[in-house]
Amino acid sequence: MRKLRIILSIAACKILIKLGKLMGKKGSYTPGVIAMKIYPDILRYLSDQVKGDIVFVCGTNGKTTTNNMLCTLLESSGKKVVCNKVGANMLAGVTVAFIEKAGIFGKLNADCASIECDEASLRHAVKHVRADKVVVTNLFRDQLDRYGEIESTIGLLNEALEKCPDTLLILNGDDPMSSTLGRGRKAKYFGINENCNEDVNETSEGRFCTVCGAPFEYNYYHYSQLGDWHCTGCDFARPHIDYAADNIDLDGKLAFDINGSVRLDLNYRGFYNIYNVLAAYSAYDAMGMKTDDINKIFGAYKPQIGRMESFTVGGKQVILNLAKNPAGFNQAIATVLADKRSKDVLVAINDAPSDGMDISWIWDVDFEKLADAETLSVFASGVRKHDTALRLKYAGFEDVKTIDITADTLRNIAKGDGEVCYLLVNYTVLFGTQEILKTISDKG
Amino acid sequence: MKITIAHLYPDMLNLYGDSGNILTLKYRLNARGIEADVISYNIDDDIDFSSADIILIGGGGEREQLTVCNRLREMKDKLIAYAEDGGVILAVCGGFEVLGSSYTTPDGTVEGVGLLDITTRYVKDKIIGNAVIESELFGTVVGFENHSGIVDIGAHSPLGKVISGNGADGKGSEGVIYKNVIATYLHGPVLPKNPRLADYIISKAMERRYGKTELTPLDDTIEMAAHDYAVGRFR
Repeated sequence: MRKLRIILSIAACKILIKLGKLMGKKGSYTPGVIAMKIYPDILRYLSDQVKGDIVFVCGTNGKTTTNNMLCTLLESSGKKVVCNKVGANMLAGVTVAFIEKAGIFGKLNADCASIECDEASLRHAVKHVRADKVVVTNLFRDQLDRYGEIESTIGLLNEALEKCPDTLLILNGDDPMSSTLGRGRKAKYFGINENCNEDVNETSEGRFCTVCGAPFEYNYYHYSQLGDWHCTGCDFARPHIDYAADNIDLDGKLAFDINGSVRLDLNYRGFYNIYNVLAAYSAYDAMGMKTDDINKIFGAYKPQIGRMESFTVGGKQVILNLAKNPAGFNQAIATVLADKRSKDVLVAINDAPSDGMDISWIWDVDFEKLADAETLSVFASGVRKHDTALRLKYAGFEDVKTIDITADTLRNIAKGDGEVCYLLVNYTVLFGTQEILKTISDKG
Repeated sequence: MKITIAHLYPDMLNLYGDSGNILTLKYRLNARGIEADVISYNIDDDIDFSSADIILIGGGGEREQLTVCNRLREMKDKLIAYAEDGGVILAVCGGFEVLGSSYTTPDGTVEGVGLLDITTRYVKDKIIGNAVIESELFGTVVGFENHSGIVDIGAHSPLGKVISGNGADGKGSEGVIYKNVIATYLHGPVLPKNPRLADYIISKAMERRYGKTELTPLDDTIEMAAHDYAVGRFR
């Protein structure tokens, strides 16, 4: 009887995924929910068959990128990996990742798993899946209507970690919020050991010690609350960094050393990607893995859609980037600023539940800085295009154009005077925009 | 002419883009040739009430709100005197709650500043969502509420009546308006999309400082497009 339910659960899930794909749906929510209804222990049954480490990747920003980098590292080392690559990161999505890898009779042949997990879902996932390692990329303010303040996200993660005392944590040591989770637990930390952004002095969140409430002090900041920090009221301070990046070169690429021994030289954009690479490398190393081809593997890594994804439309480079919260947008803007070409910029904001219905956070983004970025024209789009236009107006752009994203409007933007176009969009804007860009981009 | 905006405790209260309220006041003053001087006061600073024309108090986490409330209670006489003299205050969310005589949290009751004769009761289920209210002074006002308090506003006048959403008192009204004190749960932030409310605040500050209330009209096409969109979709 149990065997039958396992088979039914897996079969139903696989069929629903196929049907969904036929209907053009990417979602794995319903198939996962149905599978768990038919056999509630399906996730435990399958994940118990994973021979080696199961790694969860959590954190506000960069979890999809980090998780996919880790998966790529592991697969390049010949491992069979269970991974939810598209970022379906709630319990149902995690379930689907395991079922997709399993045979119809419930046999799962995998060496390890790298699983992206939503911060609020980890406490559910660890009831079903052994968490050998948990990576936390960072904790920023994100969608206050869904997650509440950072403190409540820390509470949700603590609730999950209480259930798994043997788990090794891999945490961002530059982030006092993430580091809080490591107190009294087994943890390794990654971080950036040199001051590369002399002019950055922003920290709008996580300014107070999670232990005693006193303000943090910084020797330097990287961005948001990330940097070399210590509490002014107690002994809580940036921990010893087990995986440290230094000798950083940001000039048109991304190059840095890890622990003075491995030199990475990557064709990526965005300072924040140092953290994604570090987090993935730390988890890989903590799993006892080694490779001599690290640059080759990262060089061949294909970013997920909308991570500074480049298209060519009418001969013009158009760069699509996902940003979902102030920390993500500010990093996207920093990346735009680092590009010295003249540019046209589109900002698009939706307010679906998965975007966060409260869009007040757009007022916490430093759009003012775009004005210094050789920005020739700005466009506001998305369901909340009028709010976005208003935000940009008060950021100093007098002539903001409000548009809907279509093949025609994107072609027109690409005909603008700038040498490059940037499209900065939030979550539910991303997929449709990427589809359009694929259809209108120059072939060949 | 110059208007001085005292921003209370951005080091403590900085949630939900309330800095947009300051940007809006600054923009709308500058667009009329009025200088805007924004002074950010941190929690340990002494506030110069004589120079202040508009005081802004936003919302923060529970711990920060308690720190702010304790600090404001130390200077309650000065703050109340400022308000009784017609000083303009915009208090949003946590700022709204601390101006009352008390508010409760899961841990107990906190004595407030007592500027407003209101009490706030903690409720377990957070009240979250878009809201539209109707006010006699400003017409429709749109915003986003995210609070765990129900406010008994006593004999005070509400800021407006709720058209959609929950509002502060749970009985169909939102916020309080007392003299030139405007207290509300509405984020959004509340001023950019509600230019009439923003201009009311500016005109009251101008009246008290310069005896002048006439404001040059501005082109509010973009502001009203965002306002009207919210009214149309969420009412």
